Amino acid sequence: MLENAHWIALLPLIASVIILLGSREDTEKSRLPWLGIAVMGWCLLHSLCLLGQAVAGKLEEPFYRTLPWFRFGAYEMTLGVLIDGTAAFMLCVVTLVSFLVQVYSLGYMHGDPRFKRYYAYLSFFTASMLGLVITSSLFIFFACWELVGVSSYLLIGFWFEKDAPAYAGKKAFITTKLGDLGFYAGLLLLFAYTGTFDLRLLPTHFAMGPEHMPEWVPAAVGLLLLFGAAGKSAQVPLFVWLPDAMEGPTPVSALIHAATMVAAGVYLVARTYFVYQASPLAMDAVAWTGLVTAMMAATMAVAVYDIKRVLAFSTVSQLGFMMMALGVGGYTSGMFHLTTHAFFKALLFLGAGSVIHAVHTNDMRQMGGLSKKMPATFITMVIGTLAIAGFPWAFSGWYSKEAILHDVYLRSPLMWGLALATAALTCFYMFRLVFMTFLGPSRDHPRWEHAGESPSVMTVPLWVLAGLSVFSGMLLEHGGLFARLVHAGGGEAESAGLAAAPHWLGWAAVGAFAAGLAAAWRLYGEGDFALASSLKNNLQPLFTVLEERYGFDRFFLWLVRLSDSLAAALHWLDDHLLDALFVDGWGLLTRALAEIHGFFDDFFVDGAVDGVGGVTRDAGGALSRLVRGQTQEYLLYVALAVSLFATFIMAR
Amino acid sequence: MENLSLLLPEIALSGFALLLMLADVWIPPKHGRVLFHLALLAAAAGLGLLGLCASNPAAYQGVGTLWTVDPLSVFFKILVLASAVLVLLLSVDAKRQDEHHLGTYSGLILLASAGMMLLVSAVDLVMVFLALELISISSFVLTGFERGDQRSSEGAIKYFLFGAFSTAVMVFGLSLFYGATGTTHLLKPVPQYSYATSTMFLLSCLLMLVGFGFKVSMAPFHFWVPDAYEAAPTPVTTFLSIAPKVAGLAMLLRVFTRLIPHPALELSALFSFLAMLTMTVGNLTALFQTNVKRLLAYSSIAQAGYMLIGFVTADALGREGVLLYSLVYLFMNTGAFAVAIAVGNEEGYGLEGFDGLAQRNFGLALVMAFFLLSLAGIPPMAGFVGKFTLFAAAVQGGFYGLAVVAVLNSVVSVYYYMLIAYRMFFVPPRTERPVAPGLYLFSGLALAAIAVLVIGVYPEPVLSVVKISAEMLP
Repeated sequence: MLENAHWIALLPLIASVIILLGSREDTEKSRLPWLGIAVMGWCLLHSLCLLGQAVAGKLEEPFYRTLPWFRFGAYEMTLGVLIDGTAAFMLCVVTLVSFLVQVYSLGYMHGDPRFKRYYAYLSFFTASMLGLVITSSLFIFFACWELVGVSSYLLIGFWFEKDAPAYAGKKAFITTKLGDLGFYAGLLLLFAYTGTFDLRLLPTHFAMGPEHMPEWVPAAVGLLLLFGAAGKSAQVPLFVWLPDAMEGPTPVSALIHAATMVAAGVYLVARTYFVYQASPLAMDAVAWTGLVTAMMAATMAVAVYDIKRVLAFSTVSQLGFMMMALGVGGYTSGMFHLTTHAFFKALLFLGAGSVIHAVHTNDMRQMGGLSKKMPATFITMVIGTLAIAGFPWAFSGWYSKEAILHDVYLRSPLMWGLALATAALTCFYMFRLVFMTFLGPSRDHPRWEHAGESPSVMTVPLWVLAGLSVFSGMLLEHGGLFARLVHAGGGEAESAGLAAAPHWLGWAAVGAFAAGLAAAWRLYGEGDFALASSLKNNLQPLFTVLEERYGFDRFFLWLVRLSDSLAAALHWLDDHLLDALFVDGWGLLTRALAEIHGFFDDFFVDGAVDGVGGVTRDAGGALSRLVRGQTQEYLLYVALAVSLFATFIMAR
Repeated sequence: MENLSLLLPEIALSGFALLLMLADVWIPPKHGRVLFHLALLAAAAGLGLLGLCASNPAAYQGVGTLWTVDPLSVFFKILVLASAVLVLLLSVDAKRQDEHHLGTYSGLILLASAGMMLLVSAVDLVMVFLALELISISSFVLTGFERGDQRSSEGAIKYFLFGAFSTAVMVFGLSLFYGATGTTHLLKPVPQYSYATSTMFLLSCLLMLVGFGFKVSMAPFHFWVPDAYEAAPTPVTTFLSIAPKVAGLAMLLRVFTRLIPHPALELSALFSFLAMLTMTVGNLTALFQTNVKRLLAYSSIAQAGYMLIGFVTADALGREGVLLYSLVYLFMNTGAFAVAIAVGNEEGYGLEGFDGLAQRNFGLALVMAFFLLSLAGIPPMAGFVGKFTLFAAAVQGGFYGLAVVAVLNSVVSVYYYMLIAYRMFFVPPRTERPVAPGLYLFSGLALAAIAVLVIGVYPEPVLSVVKISAEMLP
């Protein structure tokens, strides 16, 4: 079972190659997508078995197998798997969401001209993601990280005939690449001081303390890795690509940009937690990056009308929560939220996809009243919303967010206050989405008339995810199950304990939920949004800031333009100054010299040359006659060479 | 005749080769292919026997009168036979002018292989000479096998003249060796002779080097290579470009890094110069070729130059580099020639035959790109691993100049390798006719492609095998 764990990552890879190259024609009749689904189903079962083993206590010591890959000098690179409780959870999350999304896509992508290729990409993405989760070497981690980025690029720009998806794919790729630079630099630094990429061996290097490695190294490595994680997990300041990535097919958004790939950054921080534990500075940076991201994204979510972008900003915000949890020492709560969030955010995205599939628009201002038309979607969306908003003592989001707020409170009450406000905002914008989409009168009647419930191949995954969104929190919280699993083998020290926090924290969270829900009902519960629009008119400047995403997009565009103009300036310098001075000047000098030389040549040398020239011409003629494949000529060369070498040896 | 049983694979193989040639007289030409298959089976059985030798050193390895069977020789014997198997696979599907004498053809390939296997085991100069002659004479005949083709005969004659000349030089070297030491056995003269001072001894070493240099196509003894390679039937070219070369290198390793270590003769500078000359001549001349067989011929000269690096450094790492690179070279060169055969069957061997190959048979173009990348030494192909080891050996041995020249040469080589890739992918095809390799050609191609990819991506098993095999017995 555990010995074969590497196949979880390898089989989808093989499947993707088979799907891509399996047959030449790419029509919806192709049976190859079923291969991807079957393989993913097998991976899901295998992962669940691994989790079962973890529950049964077989992963007390992490499963760790490597085989040597290649050597250079004294360093050895290995291929291997490292499975602890956290990794087992991630495997389940990734395979489950990927499986459901692939089933869902049968309905959503029905009739797309590149149906087969879509499934090949999905399998390829899942393979890279699973490889990233399972590997024991940061080097392979980085490779998979890049592959994940590539497949994300391919899938965002899947409809590349249109400008917006093509642009969004490019933007996502370049922005995350910027973060990857940080990751890469961090890796180099890490290797320079430890000489290994092995996740099992690295912690001992970092635990040895300052006499083994300068104190700035863990901090620098931590910050650089954080920058990489910020790119992938869409944290400030590199979050700009995620809202645009919504141009991709919606199931892709659910899989990649909600549940799995964007969690890779959080997972990176969790996998390299030993680095952060060695450096309080890096730890604080993680916490504050998370908090700032959570707050900014939550505010921005209030100001958009595109249903998928609301969810995108919400994703950014929730990822911020996870980062913050890790940063304040809440390893368990952070990973817990990662798990529950994967379920309810995938649910919300797939639900939104179902809505978009029905009304063919992303704009919530053209929706409304859809609850009657698509009841299954409506109910599951409400469940997802209750989960993410943290409906007290019932839904999964409540448990994980509660755990995070506890940990944050123990670290700093100020951060807790800000986080609580963000939680209230979360509740507000999510109910705003539900009210605008499903309740009230329909605002675009033809679309409303046309809408209808999606096929069951799409709604069944919704129901599965809805069930998980409700119960996963309770199940995992029960008896500290999740904490026990995550810590099995990992042994990351927890700085926060639930017992130490005051009891009123839970009630404060209930208050935040109630406040958010009430505000959303007051503003958007009624059909005409009168209060909302008057509020918007009064606060126009603030609203503009939010709509422009705090100017981050503009900042990056300015950065691009700056580097453009810098390049232009350098080009001008090169052209006018360097070329003029050095190249042309050198040329002039050379010409002058050549003139002198030529004069000398003409009068003194040529006389001598002319004599030799005649001889050379004759010899050259003779040579060219002989060189045309004449064996005796070749043999002469050999004999000459041999006698030359012999002379050389004997002369020594 | 002590321990004759050690040479059982060679004896069996030569016997079988003679039987094949005999059978050729009786079996009508239309059933000639049967003999191909028999030869394939024999070579495969030989590989099995050698596997036994490798797995049980205590029972099947040892020192005989004129020969020694040690990890190094077993490794190269396996290489030679593997090359024979691959070449026989390619020969089935290569276009021939007539279908006569297939038994003789495959028999000669087996006989040449047996000669090479003897060569890598030889520790006496008489044995070396015999083995070299067995290889040379079989190769001469194979080169001129297309008797209807005048160019084939011309190439064979050139090859023969050159071979005879170099043999003469070498025999002169052998006699000088005997004169200087009083024996032809390479293990005997070591204690009582102070090498570096005797001119006669040094001269004999030099002349022997010329003989080997001829086999491994070391510059300036490489002139026969392009003509013979172009003239020979392409599967034979494949064989000649690989098997005799690696066998010769094995012999160079045995003689000049172990029995008469050349650093002790203070010849390192000369050998380093020869390595640089070989790769530079090969690469620069390859730039201007318009015929794929000639291009690959010069490329194989350059590749030999890289392999000579390990021989120059003459330490454990260098030896490992030569072994590893020989193995990698076997697969990538066979692969490249296999694609050339598939294309050449239809279009002839001009480079323009590769135009637009990607549109005619994408898979073929893709694996060719793999082989070319590997030959150029670009990761993640196997060629990179091999080159990396060799260059690392040069740097560790302190031959910085050699390493720099080698790296520069690699850069130059990328140009002409990628020129073929460019033609395959970016130039429109001349005809739309798809290229279809036969089943045997395909299987040889697949074997080579898998090996190149697997060794490149996951080199560790091969590295450990090479580490074990770099040992010599006496």
